[in-house]
Amino acid sequence: MTDATEPEDDFKPRHVDWRLWRRIAGHLRPYPRYVLTMVGCGLMLAVVEVILPLITAGIIDEATGPGRFERIMTLGASYAVLLACFALLVWRFITAAGLIATSVAYDLRESSFARLQSLPFGYFDVRSTGWLVARVTSDVTKVTGLLPWFLLDLGWGTTMLVGIFTAMMLVDPQLGFAVSVIVPPMVIATWWFKRRMLESSRRIRATNSRLTASYNETIAGVRTTRMLAREHTASAEFRSISEDMRSWTVRNALQSAVYLPVVMSLGSIGVGIALWAGGVQVREETGLTLGLLIAFMQYAMLFSQPIQELAQRFVDLQSAQAAAERVQELIEETPAIRDSPDVAARIAATPEDPPPGIAPDGGRALVGTIRFEGVGHAYVEGERVLDDVNFEISRGTTLALVGATGSGKTTIAGLLARWYEPSEGRILVDGVDYRERGLDWWQSQFGVVQQVPHLFSGTIRDNVGYGRLGADDRAINAALERVRALEFVEALEGGLDFEVGEGGGNLSQGQRQLVSLARAFLADPQLFIMDEATSSVDAETEATIQNAVEEILRDRIAVVIAHRLSTIRRADLILLLDRGRIVERGSHDELMTAGGRYRDLYLAQFVDEAERRIIG
Amino acid sequence: MGNRGRRRPDEDPWRRTVKNARINLSGLWGLMREDRGTFALALASLVVAACLLYLVPLLPQAVIDGVLGDEPDRITATSRRLVDWMGGRDHVREHLWIPLVWIAVIAGLAGAATYGRQRWSAKASQNAAKRIRDRLQDRVQRIELRRFDQLESGDLLQRCTSDVDTTQTFLSMQAVEVGRALVMFLVPLPIMFATDWRMTLAAIWLIPVILWFSLHYFGRVRVVFREKDEAEGRLTSNVNENLVGIRVVKAFNRQAHEIERFRGSNRDYRVLDERLYRIFARFWSLSDLLCFAQQASVILVGAWLLVTDRILVGEFYFFFAAVGMFLWPVRMMGRILAELGKATVAVERIEEILALPVETDRPDAVAPPRSDGRIEIRDLVFSHAEDAPVLRGIDLDIGAGETLAIVGPSGGGKSTLINLLLRFYEPDGGVIRLGGVDVESIPRAVLRGRIAAVLQQPFLFSRTIRDNIRLSAPEADDAMIETATIDASIHESIQRFEAGYETVVGERGVTLSGGQRQRVAIAQALLQDPDVLVLDDALSAVDTETERTILEAIRSRRGRHTTLIVAHRLSTLREADRIVVLAEGRVTQQGTHEQLRNAPGLYRRLWEIQDRAVADADGAEGGDA
Repeated sequence: MTDATEPEDDFKPRHVDWRLWRRIAGHLRPYPRYVLTMVGCGLMLAVVEVILPLITAGIIDEATGPGRFERIMTLGASYAVLLACFALLVWRFITAAGLIATSVAYDLRESSFARLQSLPFGYFDVRSTGWLVARVTSDVTKVTGLLPWFLLDLGWGTTMLVGIFTAMMLVDPQLGFAVSVIVPPMVIATWWFKRRMLESSRRIRATNSRLTASYNETIAGVRTTRMLAREHTASAEFRSISEDMRSWTVRNALQSAVYLPVVMSLGSIGVGIALWAGGVQVREETGLTLGLLIAFMQYAMLFSQPIQELAQRFVDLQSAQAAAERVQELIEETPAIRDSPDVAARIAATPEDPPPGIAPDGGRALVGTIRFEGVGHAYVEGERVLDDVNFEISRGTTLALVGATGSGKTTIAGLLARWYEPSEGRILVDGVDYRERGLDWWQSQFGVVQQVPHLFSGTIRDNVGYGRLGADDRAINAALERVRALEFVEALEGGLDFEVGEGGGNLSQGQRQLVSLARAFLADPQLFIMDEATSSVDAETEATIQNAVEEILRDRIAVVIAHRLSTIRRADLILLLDRGRIVERGSHDELMTAGGRYRDLYLAQFVDEAERRIIG
Repeated sequence: MGNRGRRRPDEDPWRRTVKNARINLSGLWGLMREDRGTFALALASLVVAACLLYLVPLLPQAVIDGVLGDEPDRITATSRRLVDWMGGRDHVREHLWIPLVWIAVIAGLAGAATYGRQRWSAKASQNAAKRIRDRLQDRVQRIELRRFDQLESGDLLQRCTSDVDTTQTFLSMQAVEVGRALVMFLVPLPIMFATDWRMTLAAIWLIPVILWFSLHYFGRVRVVFREKDEAEGRLTSNVNENLVGIRVVKAFNRQAHEIERFRGSNRDYRVLDERLYRIFARFWSLSDLLCFAQQASVILVGAWLLVTDRILVGEFYFFFAAVGMFLWPVRMMGRILAELGKATVAVERIEEILALPVETDRPDAVAPPRSDGRIEIRDLVFSHAEDAPVLRGIDLDIGAGETLAIVGPSGGGKSTLINLLLRFYEPDGGVIRLGGVDVESIPRAVLRGRIAAVLQQPFLFSRTIRDNIRLSAPEADDAMIETATIDASIHESIQRFEAGYETVVGERGVTLSGGQRQRVAIAQALLQDPDVLVLDDALSAVDTETERTILEAIRSRRGRHTTLIVAHRLSTLREADRIVVLAEGRVTQQGTHEQLRNAPGLYRRLWEIQDRAVADADGAEGGDA
């Protein structure tokens, strides 16, 4: 679905923030030629437009006066040449505008996308995907779409105004001044109306997103509405929003219905002034020709265009400002979790291709033990979700985390993978605080299987191969084989070439889990984090998945957020968490014998699994 | 929307009546029936405005030729009339400000007429748009749910929003622009021909070319537009997929790979976007050239006619000014005509919604007095498709005030039964009676007012918790609401929110957990004080302890209403008086706990789990399946 609901802050009126726009203009730096082309084209266009009425005047005067044929032909030819220039300039500046808009947009999308890749998990926890997608796509388009036209009109509009004025001054200062009288009221009217129209169009957009939200509720809540038999009330509520929409749109249309006639009438009055003041001169035969009089009348009509355009550009700036702010903020965002200067220096000092046994950060490549020492964590200051967690795991063992939702299981996994850093205590890797190791190296030691496995659209090959880029079909098949997934893959149409669809939608949930296990297996990580699926699949697939998990956990350091009894039973160490604290620890047998909360939990889980097998 | 899986791929839920998207705007004409008068008014002021606008250059023509010029005898009849009207040649010659005043007055009048045109066209089109929006909203609320469940919600939303926007743009801008271009072009033609036919031809001979050019061009550009939109779509879904899977990207440390992949779609989009700019560059420069050529031909032919003394300077000026007034609207007209197809498609898509069947009550439906909550179901049959029956003949009696639990494997027909009871669906056969009255003879709104149902994933509206609960009984006071929330075990949770009962939930507010949502919905249902309370797996996200508290509270209300519980676990079933097992569209077992515990079947298997669990925990050989 399109991201129809814009955030409210787009609708607040605001002044042009020039510092922001200067930073945005900084993105034009790689393209000085295009920028010059835009401004230059604008300038030359204005010059051509100012000269054309003078040539027309020349032709008229020649035709009504001496009537020399060659002279008319010369003037006509230069008129034609200027027209060709005009068309050429139009062609040139639109092409250049395209180059600017698309190049800068490309750059901004690339740098904002790249920035998103480097931001830590915490950044994504508090922002919705739709919101972030809009930053990279529509916000960038909005900002870059306006840049070239701003450049063009800055060149064209100002030159036009100055040009018309200069031309009139050169021909007849007195008449020029007389015609220019219309400029101040035109500027004032434009400013006055444009501001109001900006405001009402903001209201229209705000109302429009309310309208969309209301439709959304109508559709999503269709059963609830009928159950409560409140169709009439809902319609009445909707009608008041659609009435707002109607009245704001009409108001906006009325503003422009007044504005345009005002500006046009001012232009016509300019024509009248030229006719009057110029007519007097023609009558008194002061030397002003009819051709020049007509040229002045044309100039009077030309004035309104640059004023309208320039005003529109400023309005554009204001309405795109919120988008510009968000894009710029995203690009300038610094990741909260990154290598310390010390670590960065060590990485730089280590050769690209380190000797065996040495990691790219200069430390030991093999991970023996991991220790949590007094680890506590709060995602939001003051709201502690983990408190004083201590444990140690070593190669070849599996740690199972159990407990209710919100007990801190996922947080422990996230801290281990350094998606977040602990706010208290330390996490030691073979005795070294993991913040003293390279972030990239550490994170690439993990294999991760999520509760709801995410597959990318593409083939089975692409998805399994994601675990180790460049893996050949033999390796991919071997991985599928090891997790007992080869059989179902080969049964699919195209085998490895089967398209899994968006989010893996063409596969069943159990199949998705198997593919994601194969992907993790192919990566052959030293450490393994698994968030077990809670949802049930059919018994056969369930057994296959269990076998695959067993295969994967062997010989690694594994941390499992466990939901299945079979996994829990097999773990070497079980931590039972409650509200961020470890309340029971030990092996399955030890904990069952102790007969504490673990036993209750186990029984409840047993019943739940069995019931689901019967009822589903 | 729930039943998407049931939809067969070859089945088009819209059942298109309009086969081809030819230009066919009669539908639109129908949609805006009430606003035709206002539109006519807009058209009238458009014509008036055009006439007045062309008077503005006619006045200078009259002044230049008839007042300032040396050959007052040769001027056109129009000019002569205008000069006489201003007071005659000599008078105007002495008082050259008079034309200025007249120009100002006429420009002002033209402005007023233009204002009228925009005002009325805005009103007409916005009224029409509002009416379309309201009708759509009303319709969506009443579409038969069986059809509704087959629709994609995203597509439906798009039809209600962007298709209406497209239609509105067409009405408020495009239709008006085409009209304006036509009027602006046609109005000056008689004056022009009356003045000089050669000049007239010089002023219009390129018009067909200009029109054809933009029509043709925009017709072709549409293909590139579509390609660009598709590339943009791919780019967006690339970003979207990356962000949805950002945890996988990070888990496998594949940032560089992802950036490389994104670069591909980023580049594709840029290339097409730039191509569009290039195409536009060609279009605008060439069509500018054509328009200017039209103007140049006026100047050159004009110069020749001036030299040969066949026209006057003022006439020359008028032609020149007039060409400048109609050229650009005409050029735009080509573009708009080329884009007309969009509006046609949008109107069709809107009409398809309006044509969907809606829920209607039987004409003889009357509201019976409040019932005792007794339900009789006789031989109830229902199927989504011909060969896939969901209910194969259900017979069931539920006594007044009884608590009945329905249990069974998924797909067994539990939710369908509830859908039929609420008349969300209509049965293919059989009858349901509430308090002895056939539900089909009760108006839907009344029936649903007597039954309060809580669904597994209840929907809360974007408003405060209090308002959400009160939706079921608008006149309820705070004390009644509190009783309901206490019974639903949600009172304490609500009080723990910073804003308490005034906390806004839903899309624009606080996100409640699944269990909290379910409990708010239960409170809402209890507040309604219904004849029948239905909990359709409505406690699935609530822990067993809270579940017991809620069910006990509902039990203590017993006698006040009949309760139907669709359950997925034994703990829920325990609280019922009687249990019905529904499998493959039939009632396979029913009875009390005692009866069912002693008979082999699903219920007994559920019951035995507990023992097996304890056995398993004690290390005995029990297995888990």
